[in-house]
Amino acid sequence: MKRAPYPTEAPREGQKAVWKSLGDKRNPDAAKEAAKSELLTPITLSRRGLLGLGAATAALATEGCIRRPVEHIYPYTKAPEYVIPGVADHYATILSRRGELVGALIESHEGRPTKVEGNEEHPTSLGSADLLMQAATMDLYDADRSTSVREKGKRSDWGAFDRALAAILKTSQADGGARVRVLVRPSSSPTLLRLRTLAADKFPHTRVHSYTPIAESNSREGARIAFGQAVVPRHNFAFAKTIVALDSDFLHGEQGALHATKGFVHGRKLDRPSDPMSRLYVVEPSLTVTGSNADERLRLPASEVDAFARALAAEVAKHAIELGSVKDAVADAKAPEGTERFLTAAAEELAANKGKCAVVAGRRQPAHVHALVHALNTALENVGHTTSYAPVVDVTEPADLGADLKALADDIDQNKVDILLILGGNPVFDAPSDVKLAEQIDKVPTSIHLSSHFDETSEHCTWHLPMTHELEAWGDGRAFDGTFSIQQPLIAPLHDGRSVIELMAHLTDEAPRGHELVRATFRERAATPARFEGAWKTALRLGLDAGSNSVRFEAHATLDEVAAAIKKAPLAKSIGPSNLEVAFAPCNKIHDGASGNNPWLYEVPDPITKIVWDNAALVSPATAKALGIESEDVISIARDGSKTIEVAAWVQPGQADNSITLTLGWGRENVGRYGNGRGFNVSPLRTTKAMDMMDGVHVSKTGKTYKLVQTQDHDRMEGRPIAIDATLDEYKTNPQFVLFPNEEEKRSGSPTPRTLPLWDRAKYEGHKWGMTIDLNACTGCNACVVACIAENNVAFVGKEQVYRGREMHWLRIDRYFIGESEDEPEVAFQPVACVQCEEAPCENVCPVNATIHSEEGLNDMAYNRCIGTRYCANNCPYKVRRFNFLEWRGPEGAQQRVQDTYQEIPETEKMAFNPNVTVRMRGVMEKCTYCVQRIEEAKIGSRREGRAIGANEIKTACQQTCPADAIVFGDLNNAKAEVARLARSDRGYALLAILGTHPRTTHLGKIRNPSPALHHHREAPEPTKPALGKPPEHRTPVETPK
Amino acid sequence: MSANEKAPIKAIGEVYLTKEGMTFHEVSEVVCKVTENKAPRNWWIAFFIASSFTGVLGAAIGYLFWQGVGVWGNNAPVYWAWDITNFVWWIGIGHAGTLISAVLFIFRQKWRTGINRAAEAMTIFAVICALMFPGIHVGRVWFAYYMFPFPNQMALWPNFKSPLIWDLFAVSTYFTVSLLFWYSGLIPDLALLRDRAMGMLGRVGKIRRTVYGALALGWRGSNRHWQNYERMYLILAALSTPLVLSVHSVVSFDFATSVLPGWHTTIFPPYFVAGAIFSGFAMVMTLTVITRAVYGMKSVITIRHLELMNKIMLLTGSLVGYAYAMEFFIAAYSGNPYEKYVFMNRAFGPYKWAYWTMITCNVISPQLFWFKRLRTSIPVMFAVSIVINIGMWFERFVIIVTSLHRDFLPSSWGYYRPTLVDVAIYSGTLGFFFTCFLLFIRWVPMVAIAEVKGVLPEADPHAAEETHDAKLEDGAALAPGE
Repeated sequence: MKRAPYPTEAPREGQKAVWKSLGDKRNPDAAKEAAKSELLTPITLSRRGLLGLGAATAALATEGCIRRPVEHIYPYTKAPEYVIPGVADHYATILSRRGELVGALIESHEGRPTKVEGNEEHPTSLGSADLLMQAATMDLYDADRSTSVREKGKRSDWGAFDRALAAILKTSQADGGARVRVLVRPSSSPTLLRLRTLAADKFPHTRVHSYTPIAESNSREGARIAFGQAVVPRHNFAFAKTIVALDSDFLHGEQGALHATKGFVHGRKLDRPSDPMSRLYVVEPSLTVTGSNADERLRLPASEVDAFARALAAEVAKHAIELGSVKDAVADAKAPEGTERFLTAAAEELAANKGKCAVVAGRRQPAHVHALVHALNTALENVGHTTSYAPVVDVTEPADLGADLKALADDIDQNKVDILLILGGNPVFDAPSDVKLAEQIDKVPTSIHLSSHFDETSEHCTWHLPMTHELEAWGDGRAFDGTFSIQQPLIAPLHDGRSVIELMAHLTDEAPRGHELVRATFRERAATPARFEGAWKTALRLGLDAGSNSVRFEAHATLDEVAAAIKKAPLAKSIGPSNLEVAFAPCNKIHDGASGNNPWLYEVPDPITKIVWDNAALVSPATAKALGIESEDVISIARDGSKTIEVAAWVQPGQADNSITLTLGWGRENVGRYGNGRGFNVSPLRTTKAMDMMDGVHVSKTGKTYKLVQTQDHDRMEGRPIAIDATLDEYKTNPQFVLFPNEEEKRSGSPTPRTLPLWDRAKYEGHKWGMTIDLNACTGCNACVVACIAENNVAFVGKEQVYRGREMHWLRIDRYFIGESEDEPEVAFQPVACVQCEEAPCENVCPVNATIHSEEGLNDMAYNRCIGTRYCANNCPYKVRRFNFLEWRGPEGAQQRVQDTYQEIPETEKMAFNPNVTVRMRGVMEKCTYCVQRIEEAKIGSRREGRAIGANEIKTACQQTCPADAIVFGDLNNAKAEVARLARSDRGYALLAILGTHPRTTHLGKIRNPSPALHHHREAPEPTKPALGKPPEHRTPVETPK
Repeated sequence: MSANEKAPIKAIGEVYLTKEGMTFHEVSEVVCKVTENKAPRNWWIAFFIASSFTGVLGAAIGYLFWQGVGVWGNNAPVYWAWDITNFVWWIGIGHAGTLISAVLFIFRQKWRTGINRAAEAMTIFAVICALMFPGIHVGRVWFAYYMFPFPNQMALWPNFKSPLIWDLFAVSTYFTVSLLFWYSGLIPDLALLRDRAMGMLGRVGKIRRTVYGALALGWRGSNRHWQNYERMYLILAALSTPLVLSVHSVVSFDFATSVLPGWHTTIFPPYFVAGAIFSGFAMVMTLTVITRAVYGMKSVITIRHLELMNKIMLLTGSLVGYAYAMEFFIAAYSGNPYEKYVFMNRAFGPYKWAYWTMITCNVISPQLFWFKRLRTSIPVMFAVSIVINIGMWFERFVIIVTSLHRDFLPSSWGYYRPTLVDVAIYSGTLGFFFTCFLLFIRWVPMVAIAEVKGVLPEADPHAAEETHDAKLEDGAALAPGE
C-alpha cells in the first residue's frame, strides 16, 4: 500500500508537462527533492496492524471515558427536577466548627453555594448559624487555597502521589505499619472511625495521634473522673433559674454555643414584667460574650477559678446539699480574696434552685474543676433537668492532645517514624513550643500533609495534598447528642482536592471515593438493605438521620472519685503583681485560625474589643498602669520553658488584674493574601504542660508600638437613651422604663419629648415592613453581621481603610460600657442597621432622588441613580449608611485594602456573590435594605401560588442566623405577625425617637437581673456633663470625664 | 493744581477719594500702564508659583477622579470635610465683590470705585474655585449632571426638596450675575484700552486693538451709550443685591435644614452672610494691599478706602462673634443634650485646637481695628486680613467636621485627618485663584477707570463753573470714558 499523493516524476512522453514554477521546470531534479520533503510519510499498515490499532483506540477511549459515578444529592425542600435560573436551591449538610459539627442549610444558585443558613431540623443548629458558618462560603472560594499536589514544594499530581504512597505502604505493610504514623484532628465522623478500624486491621502497629490547638481534653478528662467515661455535658439553660459559669464562654467560644444560646435566651425572654427570668453568674478572667451577658460578673484570673470552684462547692454544701466526700475535699478551700460575697450569693441561689440551676466549667479549666462541676450538678439534682450528657463518639481520643503530639514528636526524634500522614490541621503553626514539630517533621523520610492551603506545615512536608472544603466533599459526623449527620457536597471540588476520609481510605482496602465511603458507613446503620436507599435519601434531605441521637444520658457523678481527684490536684499559686498569669483564649472571630484567610472574619470587629484585623494581649487598666503599658504598646511575654513572644497590648475594661488574655489563631505566615502577617502568633508561648493558662510570666515593654484599629472607639453612651436597659425590679415597678431612660426623666416623671409631625403622615395600607431587635436577647455574637455580609455582598476594605472609618458593614453591633468603673463595666450590645425611618432625613436631602421611600415603607436605595454626594449619610442620625469611597473590588481598592501585589478581586471570590443583590461600585452609597431581595422573592412566590405572604414567612439574613432570635422581621400590618406583637411590647422604643424619624425598627430594652443578695445597686448615673475625651491618637477603651 | 483750587469740595464736607488733585489722565495712565507695560519681574515669579499650584490642582483632581473620593481623608461619619469647607470658604470670599459693586453702588458709597473692579474679579475667580468642589466631591463625577433638571428618558427630575439643588441654582445664578456685572462694568474701560492701543505699533498694537475692540462691544462713549449703560448697571446692581444675601443663606441651608446638632440652627443664614462678607473683605484687603503697593496705585486706592474696609471687617467680625456666642446660648437654653454636647465638644473636644484658632482669628483679631492707628496701618491690616481668612476657613471646618465627627450615637463617632490629596487640592485652588488674578491684573484694568473718574471733582457738572481754569488735559471732562 504505497501511494504518493502528488505526481513528482518527470512527465512521460505524450503527456503534457505540468509544472508549478519556472524554477521547477528548469530544474526538475531539485523540484523532485523538494517535493519529497513535502510529502506525508507514507503509512505502512498491515491488516493486523490496523485491527490492533483500532482495538487500542477503543480500549483507550473506554479507559479515558469512564462515566462519572452517579452521586445523588437531594435538596432539603425543593426537588432538583430542573435547575431554574435565579431560583436558589437549599441543601442540608453539616459544617464542622470549633471541633464539632453543626447542621446547616446551604443556599445554592445554579450549583454555586452562596449562603449558609441554620438547619431547623438539626439539634446543633435549631435554625441558627454562627459567624464561622456564615463565613464558610468565603473559605470555600478562597483564592489562595492550594490547587495542586506538591512534592517537596514543587507542583506534582495525584498520580505521582498515589504511586509513591502505594509503594511506601507496600513496604510498610511488612512490619504492620509500625513506622507509619497518622496525625488527625479530633473528629466525630463515623466513616473516619470506621476507616481507622479498617486501617488498624491492615496496619496493626500504626499509631494514630490527635491534635488540635483548642481541645476538649480537660472536659473529657473531668468526665472520666466523674463518670468513668468521656461524655459531653450539655445544658438546657431554658430550664435554669440560676446559671454559674466558671470561666466558660458557653454562649460563644465553647462547643454547642448555638444550642446553649437558644436555651439561655429562652430562659430570659420577657413578654411582660411578671415573666420569670434566669440569673447568670460568670466568673472569668477576660470579658467574653458570656461575661458581657452576665447579671453578676466576677473577674478572676483563670488560675484562681479552681480555688473559687472549690470554695463554691464548700459553700453550696453548707445549704444541705449532699456533696458526700467532695464536701470534705473542699472543706478547707479558701475563696480568692474579695470573692466571698459573690460566692455566697451564688451558692445560696444555687442551693435554693435545686434542680433548676446549672453550673458550667470552661474548657480552659483543669479536669478536676470539670469533675467538681459534674459533682455539683449531680448534687444539685440538675441532671436530667438542666443538664444531660452524651457519650463522645471517638472513645479512642487521647486524654491529653498536647501530650499526644509530644509523644509523636518524641517518636520521630527517636527515629521510629518513616511515614507521617497529617490529615488536616496545621500543627507546625499551632503546636506548643516544647514540641518543635517543624524540626521533627523535617527528619521524617516521608511526610504527607493534607490541607486546604500550602501552609506552615506543608512547607516542612515531603508531600502536600490539597484538601477539599466541607462544601465540596462527602462526609459525616455525629452531633453532640449523637445525631448521625451527613455532609453532602454542594459543588464539585474546585481545586482537585481530596477529603480526609478519602485519603484515610488509602490505608484500607476501600476505594477512596467519599460518596461510597459514607454510604458504606450508612449502610451499616440501615435496618435492611432494602430500606437503605430510602433512609439515605431521607437523611440527605434532612441533613441528619432522624432518631439516631443517643438516649439522653443521665449520668451521676461518683463523688468519691471527684473528691480524690480534687485532693490530688494542687491549687495553683495565687496570681498577683509578682506572679502574672496568661490565659489562652480562642479568638471570638476565627476561633483557632483554621479560617485563617477569611477577610470577612478578619474585618468583623471583635465583639468586646471592637478590634479588626488583629489580635492583642488584653490587660486590665490597673495592671497596665502597674506595668507602665498603654494600648498599642508592643510587650514581650516570657516564661521559662517557652519561647518569648511579642504582642501588642490592649487595655481592656473588665479584665482581671494581673491576668493577660492571649488570643489564639493569629499570626499566620503562610496562608494567603488576607491572613499573612495578621496579628500575633501566641502559640509559641504555650507548652504541652500549659496549653490553657500559665502563671509566672514576665512581661516587659519593648518600646515599640503597633497600630490596632477599632470600628468603635467611643465606649460611653454619654447619658443618651440609646441602648436602654433596666433591672428586672425596675421593669416590674415601671414597665414603661424605656420612656424614662435618664435619671432626669425618671425624677421628673415626664418622658422624652417626641417630635410631632407638621404634616399628614403617609399611611401604609398594604404591607408595612418592620423589625424588632430585642436587646435582652442579643448576646453580641456577630453572627448576624457576617450573615449580612454574605447575603448582601458587603465589601471588606482592609485594616487601613477601617482605620479611616470606611468599613462597609450594613449591620453593626454597637457595644457600650456602662458605669464609671473601668474595671467592672456593664456591657450593652445593640445591633443597628438602617431603621427604615418613615420620615427619613436621608431622603429629602438627596439632590438626585437616589434614596426614596417605597409604598411599603422601605427606604430604598437606587444605586444607579446615586452620584455620591454623601449628604444622606451626613443627615442619617443612626450613621448606618456606608459609602464606597474607593472601588473595593477593583485594582485600586485591592491595593488600598490589603496588599498591592494582588490586583483584581480573584475569580473565585466573585463566585461567593449573591446574584440577587447588586454589587456596588465606587462612589455609591449603600445600606441595609431589610433584605429586600428576600421580600421580593416571597412576594413573587406568594403571587405565583395565589396566596398571601405568611405572617412570619420572610426572614432577613440577620434574623435567620441569630441564635438568640433577637431579630424579628415581618409585616406590621399583619396582626398574626410576631413582629407586630413585639413592636407593641412595653419594652419597645424607637431609637432617637426625639428626632421624629419614626423608625420601622423597634428596639426592645434590655433587662438585667442582678442578685438582690449582692445589694447590687446600679452605679451612679453617668454625669450629665459631657465627657469629651481626647483625640483618639491614643485611644483608651474607656474615656474618663475630664 | 494747588490745594486752593479744590477748596470748594472741602468746603462742602467732601473728601477726596483719590490722591488730592488727580486728573483724569493720571487715572488712565496709572491704571492702563499696568496692562501696557511689560510685566514686572515679581509678576512673573508670582505667576510661576501660582500656575505651578494650578498644575498640582490638575494632577490632584486627575488622581481623585481615577481613584475615587477615598483618596481624601473623608470617612464615616465625617463624610464631608475639606471639600465642603473649601467650597463654603471660597463662596464666602466671593461675597465681597458683589457687595462692594452692587450694594454699595445702590447706597451711593462712592468710595467703592477704587476697589470694586478687583473685588468683582476676585469674586468671579473665587466662585469658580468654589464651584469646582460640588463637582469633584461627588463619588461618581461622570454622573454629576444628574443634578441638573433636564428632560430625560428616565422621566426623573432632581429632588427639589434637597438643599443641594437650591445650592446649585443659587451659586450658579450668583456666578452668572456676577460675571455679567463685572463684564458690563468693564466695557468703558476696555474701550479705553482699545483706544489707547490705536497708536501702538506692530503686532502687539494690532492684537490689542482687535481683542479689546471686540470685548468693548463697540463702545463709543456716546451720551446714549452712557445712558443705557448706567441704567443696565443699576438694574444689575439691583438684581445682585438680594443675591448677596441669598447665596450664602442658601449655602447655609445645606447645614441648617439637616437634623445634625451643630448644623440644625436657624441663626445660620445671617451668620453665614456676615461671615461671607467678613472673609470677602479680608481677601479683598489682602489682594488690594499687595497690588496697590506693587503697581503704585496708592493714589487711586487710598488709605481711606482701606480704613473703610477695615471698619466693615470690624463690624462683620463682631457679628460673627455674636453668632458664635449665640450658638452656645441656644444650645444651653434649648435643653437639647445633643446640641449641648456638640458645642461643648467644639470648644473642648478633640478639635478644640480648630475652634480656638477660629475664635482667635475671627473674633479677637478684628478687634484691633477699634484703634485708628492700627486700622490705618498697612502691615497690621495686611496681617489681620490673612489671619481672618485663615480663621474663616477654620470656621467652616469647625462647623462641618466637628458637628459630623460626633453626632447622635457615640458608637459611630470618629476622627478626621486630611490626606496629602486634600492639601494638594486646597492649595491647588489657591494657585488657580492667584493665577486667574495675576492674569486679570496683567490684562484688564484692575481699577474701574471710568467710575473713578466719575467721582473726581472734575466729574461734577458744576466743577467747571467753580474752577474756571481747570486744566482738562484729556479734553473729555464730561465723559470719563474716552
